[in-house]
Amino acid sequence: MLKYTVRRIVTGLISLFVLATITFFLVRLIPGSPFQRGGVSEQVVEAVEQEYGLNEPVISQYMSYMSNLLRGDLGISYQDPSNRVTDIIARAWPVTASIGIAALAVSLLLGTIAGVVRAVTGKRYVKELISGGSMLAAGIPGFAAAILLLLVFSVKLKWLPASGLMTPAHYILPVTALSLYPAAMISRLLSNTLSGELQKDYVLFARAKGLGKWRVILVHALKNSYLPVLNYIGPASASLLTGSFVIESIFTIPGLGREFVGSITNRDYTLILGLTVFMGAVVIIINLFTDLLCAWLSPQTRRAYRKEEF
Amino acid sequence: MKKRMTAVLLLAVLLCSTVLSGCVTARPEGEDSGKNITVAISSDTGTMDPAGSIALTYLAYSVSALDELLTYGEDGEIEYRAAKSYEVNEDATVWTFHLREDAQWSDGSPVTSGDFLNTITRALDPASGSGYANYLFPIENAEAIYNGEADMSALGVETPDDYTLIFRLSEPCVYFLDLLRLPVYTPSCAEYADSVDSGWDKDPETSLANGPFRLAEYVPEQYFVLEKNEYYWNADAVNLDTITYRFFDDTQSMANAYEAGEVDVATSLSSTVMEAYEGQEDLYVADQIATRYIYMNLNVTPLNDVRVREALNLAINREELCRIVGSDTEPTYNLVAKYMTDRSTGEYFVDGAAQPFEENVQRAQELLAEAGYPNGEGFPELTYYYPTLEMDSDTAQVIQEQLKENLNITINLEAQELQANYSTRYSGNFDLCRMNWTADFADPYTYLSMLLSNSTYNCSGINDPEYDDIVEQSNSESDPVKRAELLHQAEQLAVGEQFYIIPLFAMKSVNLVSPDITGIRQIPASGALEYRYADTNA
Repeated sequence: MLKYTVRRIVTGLISLFVLATITFFLVRLIPGSPFQRGGVSEQVVEAVEQEYGLNEPVISQYMSYMSNLLRGDLGISYQDPSNRVTDIIARAWPVTASIGIAALAVSLLLGTIAGVVRAVTGKRYVKELISGGSMLAAGIPGFAAAILLLLVFSVKLKWLPASGLMTPAHYILPVTALSLYPAAMISRLLSNTLSGELQKDYVLFARAKGLGKWRVILVHALKNSYLPVLNYIGPASASLLTGSFVIESIFTIPGLGREFVGSITNRDYTLILGLTVFMGAVVIIINLFTDLLCAWLSPQTRRAYRKEEF
Repeated sequence: MKKRMTAVLLLAVLLCSTVLSGCVTARPEGEDSGKNITVAISSDTGTMDPAGSIALTYLAYSVSALDELLTYGEDGEIEYRAAKSYEVNEDATVWTFHLREDAQWSDGSPVTSGDFLNTITRALDPASGSGYANYLFPIENAEAIYNGEADMSALGVETPDDYTLIFRLSEPCVYFLDLLRLPVYTPSCAEYADSVDSGWDKDPETSLANGPFRLAEYVPEQYFVLEKNEYYWNADAVNLDTITYRFFDDTQSMANAYEAGEVDVATSLSSTVMEAYEGQEDLYVADQIATRYIYMNLNVTPLNDVRVREALNLAINREELCRIVGSDTEPTYNLVAKYMTDRSTGEYFVDGAAQPFEENVQRAQELLAEAGYPNGEGFPELTYYYPTLEMDSDTAQVIQEQLKENLNITINLEAQELQANYSTRYSGNFDLCRMNWTADFADPYTYLSMLLSNSTYNCSGINDPEYDDIVEQSNSESDPVKRAELLHQAEQLAVGEQFYIIPLFAMKSVNLVSPDITGIRQIPASGALEYRYADTNA
């Protein structure tokens, strides 16, 4: 297990290095300069680029960026030199993470409840209702749902605020929009595996031993049914935690996604790179974490790892 | 069992609530008492330092918080702000300004000539990233200092005492007063404003204002709050207590926020808003001092033939174009912005002379035939490069269609991201390229100077000594009537005889303003809205 973990960390670091390298050269391939705007003369653009070392050969720029990166220095934002890239990430990530975590919690809760009810209930119309609902939620793209929610609840009914993230009420619409799809996915995955699980002998045995129906479902069957859900949640939470470009833009939320789009528009090379490396690291860490959790939950996988070690 | 379920539920609720409350940021201050307005502006970009990299944030901030030396009011009269008077020598090369002695920074310290010099010297260092540095180049040795060829001590700016500021120019410049509204001529408090990357500009403690409002709070990417500057020399005329500017990424979100009552003013919206709010009090449509036009590359055959350039110009139906593109556009046949006022007459500048040319499809076909392409035969396919903005994409398709129908020539369309389009334009690697120019200052020179042979905005290879000569002459002509004549002559030459460009349309800015707010003014030079003396009855 330990060996496996170490190996995953090492591959993670190599992936990050490759990611940073590819991004570094890609951003320099995009036409445009961080200092070019509609009304800035070419003479000024050249002088400023020289000042920031952007006239040097790309390879030497790459070397100095990489050596700074190793020391954890992501540089300054070209757009606003009084801001360090690390400061911008430190400012934007908690915002993104807070709606991401909230959306994750909401979708887990909703998805689990809907999934369990659908698997357990004997009533046909409840089953159909949940299936239909989750189909709808999974089918509508996030941005469409977001715009719909916005138009109905803030523009027309004026119940909820339309933009920003200033009070808890501001969280309701973006979190709902973000959690619709994962909640639907979780409920479908869960209900499918749970139905299968409930047919198994150990459930019958537990019931025969006299355990209550709900105890068997929630403690024994549910734990075993969570594996596919966990495999889904890993990548899903990585995407929730790195920010949704569209949702953040629609609700004017000052998170990572918005920063990322802005940095590309402004050709803010250091910020694009810094955000890419950071998001890459988040994705790698979360995937590692989910894999370890899966191993812990499933005896088969756990044994497979152990065998490898001996 | 029930207990455990409840515990799990409670835990979930607790988790949600901590997450929600933990990251909640403070509400903009001062919403409870006093007169406050909230303005929606486009996203947070650039610094608030007049010597730094200027983008939207500075422009919004400075309009309310910084006093330039002087400016022109809506009636075209000089409105003295940080200066109380000025003198100029005979040939318009030495400009002396006397500063207001009662002007104070928002901490109560006096505004001195050194504060103006502070911005200028910092902007002349390329590391500042100032995009306006080239507007300092009329000053003696400024260009050489910027290029590292001269020492700062050689700069033609003098501060004999705290309240006198003298500019020595290397050449006569009759529109010098118009330049004074630009960031690089705006003061920054020498005590705190030391560099573009120390962060002084967004810290309310050190970001001092000499205008009617001062920075009270700045939350990156979300909003900033300006509150009334009690030390302002004209504070009695200021009605509002705070102005909150909130950043938005797209105009649809802004319009939604206005509709939901979260902001009182939403600026620069799309033309659909104009239709949705037609006839309502909220709609505030203002003239933009801007021209959208197309550069034709003179190094490309057949665009090096003036007959071809004229044919393209005459074959486009601009009325139809504007009908399709949106109700916020109006046809123009000039380079100088349609709504720029000529202060000597009080009329729009372009109305001071005959329209440079008139559309005429038949004549266009004849010209094309004369140039050797009867009915478009043998005419090479040209490529038009334009940004992926909705307005430009619509424009491109209409023009493609019109030129096909009227001249039987084929234009290929190449949509690019905005930044990429700037690059294409600067590199001169195009046949046809879209251009938009919003006036930096209220003088036709801001437009006409772009086509000078040595201008860095001249991207299409224009090299016309006659044109250069006329524009040059206008710089030292102090009689406004004679000067206007020269400028009209230059424009006629470039647009109506040589057809160096294809002018398309002028634009209006579409804004929503709560009917409770009064006293919003429009800055004549740029068309932007100003809230200095606004009031609200809400």
